Amino acid sequence: MNRRHFALFAIALMTAALIAACGGAPTTTAPTAAPAPQPTTAPAPGGRKFTIGISNPFISSEYRTQMIQSLIEVNKEYMERGITNELVIESADTDVAGQIQQLQNLINKGVDAILVNPSDVSGLNDTLQEAINKGIIVISVDQELNTPGVYNVGIDQKEWAKISARWLAEKLGGQGNIVLIEGFPGHPANVARMEGVEEVLKEYPNIKVLGRETGKWDEATGQQVMSNFLASFPNLDGYWTQDGMAIGAMQAVMAANPSKWPVLVGEGRCQFLQLWDQRLKEDPNFETIAVANPPGVSPTGLRIAVNMLMGKQVDKSKLGGANGLSFVIPIPIIVTKDNFQEVFTTVCKDKPATYLLDGIMTDEEVQQFFVK
Amino acid sequence: MKQSRWQQATYRHPYLFALLLLAVAFTVNALLQPNLLEPTTLNSNMRVFLPLILVAVGQAIVMIGGGIDISVGSIVSVTNAILATQIGLSGDLSTAGVIMGVALLAGMGAGALNGLCVAYLRLQPIITTFATSFIYSGLALFILPNPGGGVPSRLTAFYRETIILWLPLAFYVIALILLIWAAIRRTRYGRYLYAVGGKADAAYETGVPVRAVQFSTYVISGFMAALGGIAMTLLTGSGNAQVGDPLTLSSITAAVIGGTPLSGGAGGVAGPMIGAIILGLIRNIISFANVATWWQTFVNAAIIVLALATPGIINLVRRRNR
Repeated sequence: MNRRHFALFAIALMTAALIAACGGAPTTTAPTAAPAPQPTTAPAPGGRKFTIGISNPFISSEYRTQMIQSLIEVNKEYMERGITNELVIESADTDVAGQIQQLQNLINKGVDAILVNPSDVSGLNDTLQEAINKGIIVISVDQELNTPGVYNVGIDQKEWAKISARWLAEKLGGQGNIVLIEGFPGHPANVARMEGVEEVLKEYPNIKVLGRETGKWDEATGQQVMSNFLASFPNLDGYWTQDGMAIGAMQAVMAANPSKWPVLVGEGRCQFLQLWDQRLKEDPNFETIAVANPPGVSPTGLRIAVNMLMGKQVDKSKLGGANGLSFVIPIPIIVTKDNFQEVFTTVCKDKPATYLLDGIMTDEEVQQFFVK
Repeated sequence: MKQSRWQQATYRHPYLFALLLLAVAFTVNALLQPNLLEPTTLNSNMRVFLPLILVAVGQAIVMIGGGIDISVGSIVSVTNAILATQIGLSGDLSTAGVIMGVALLAGMGAGALNGLCVAYLRLQPIITTFATSFIYSGLALFILPNPGGGVPSRLTAFYRETIILWLPLAFYVIALILLIWAAIRRTRYGRYLYAVGGKADAAYETGVPVRAVQFSTYVISGFMAALGGIAMTLLTGSGNAQVGDPLTLSSITAAVIGGTPLSGGAGGVAGPMIGAIILGLIRNIISFANVATWWQTFVNAAIIVLALATPGIINLVRRRNR
C-alpha cells in the first residue's frame, strides 16, 4: 500500500514539476510573445515595443552559448530604453525539420524580427519566405544564406581564413611542408575558409601541402588528427587549422614535443592564449597567430534588426555578399606576438578559459550601415 | 475488475495510452497556443511531423516482427540526396515522379540488404542495421557531398500548402496508411508478422515462413523511410546528406511511446504515428510555455522519459493494488 501511494505520489510530483517548469515560466520570464503587444506607458519611438525572436539549432558549443548570452545582454539595453520586449529564444539541439518548427513557432508568436543561425544552406528557404511575406524582418547571423529577402550579418569567412594562412606562409619564408586540418567538409563556413587558404597557398608555390584532414571543429578530434600527422611526417614545417581544433592540435604538438616545433596557427580563445603563454615560458621565441571568430556578430545583428524595425533605411551600398544583402562585420581582434601580452593580461583576465575573443558593435557603430 | 479491464484494453489497443497522452499534449498545447486548431497552424505543424510519422510506421513494423532498424535515418538521407540531385530546382513534374519512384525503390533495396543480413544470414539486427547505416549515409554523402540541389518550388508548395476540407494533407496520408494497415492485419501475412515477433521458433514449427516475414519487415521499413525522405525533401526543398540522421532514434522513441515493445510481437502502427505527433507537440509546448533557454533540452527529455515510463508505472501500481 505504502509503495503504491509512493508511486502515485511520485507521478503526481513529476507531473507537477513539469507543469511548473512549463507553465510557470512565463511569470518569471516576462510576458513576451503577445501577438499584438499593447502600447505601454512609455512608448517606444515607433509607437510600440518590438519583439525579436532567435532560432538556434545547435547548443553544444561555447560559441553558441556565448552568442545567446550576449544576445540577452544587448537586448536588455534596448529593453531599458523601452524599445524591445524580452527576447523569444528557441534554442535546442535539433535538425532541419526541428528548426523549421522553431521558425514556425516564432512566426506564430508574432515576433517582429527573427535572427536565425541556420543549420542548412537552403532547407529553411520556404519557411523564411513565409516569415518575410508576413512582414517579419529575417536576419541570418554567423552563416551566410543566399535567400532573397534575408539579410546576413557575419564576418567574411574567406578573408578570416586568409589572415592566418598568409601569416603562416610568410613565417615559413614561402617554403616548407605543411598539413591542413579543416572543419566539417561541405559546411558553408568551412568551404569559404578552405577556398581562402587555397588562394593564399597558390601565391607560395614552394609550400607543399602533405595532407589535409577534417578535425570536425572538435578539440579532441583535432588533437587526434594532429598526433597522426606528427607521427607520419616527423619533419613537418608547419600546419594550418581553424577555431575549435587549434587547441587540440597544439596540445598534440606539446605531447609529442618534437625537437623542432612546426609553425602553427591558433584560435581566438582564452584557452589557446593560455597554451601560448605556457609555451612562451619554455621557448621565449615562440610565435603564433589567433584570429577571433566573434560570436558577437549575432548581438550586432540584433542591433541592426532593432534599427531596421525603428524604420531606418539600410544603405544598400554598404552591403556585400552573394545577394548584396550581407552586413560584413570586421574582425575584432587579431592576436600576434605584438599584442599577445596585452590581450592575454586584459581581455582574458577574468574570463573563463572557454571565452572566445569577441567584439560587439555599439549602436552608434552600426549606424554606418544606415542612411543618415 | 477495473484493472483487468485497463490491461485488457491496452493489450487489445496498444495505442490507447498514446491516445491518452496525445489528448493531454494537445490540450496543453492548445491552451498555450490558442490558434493551434486553425487550419494553417495545424497544417504547418503536421507538415513538419509527417516525415517522422512515416519513418516511425516502418520502424514499428520491424519492431512488431521482433527486429529493429537503426538505418532508417540514413535511408531518409539517401532518398533526400537522390531527389535533390536528380530532380533539381528547375526539374519538371514528370521527371520528379520518376525520380521519386527510383528513390522508393532505392529505399526498398536498402531495406532488402538489411533483411538479407538479418533474416537469411542471421546477423544481430541492431548491429547489422547500425553497420549498414554507415553504408547508406556514406552513399548519401557520395551522391551529395555538399548541401545543395533541391526540388521545384511547385512541388514544395503542394506539400506545404495543401489543405483539403480544413484538414492538412498529412491527415489524408495518415488515414490512407491506417486503411492499408487495417487491411494487412486481416490477411495471413498480418497474423504471421505478430507470430514471428512473438515467438519465432514456435511460429517456425507451425509452418510460418519466418525468414521471409522478417525479410519483408525490413523492406517495408526501407520503403517507409524512403517515403519519409520524400516528405522531408518536400518540406525543406533542398538537399543535405545528413538530414535524416536524427530521425533514427526519434522513430524508435515514437514507436515505443506508441505502445510497440522492443521485445516484438505486439503493437501497431496507429500508436507510433501518435507517438511521432506527441514528440512534435512536446517541442511546441516547450516553445510556447516560454521555458527558459538553458532548460529547454532538459524539459524536453524529461517529458519524453515520463511519457515512456508512465505505462510501466501504471502497471506497477495496478499490480501492487491486486
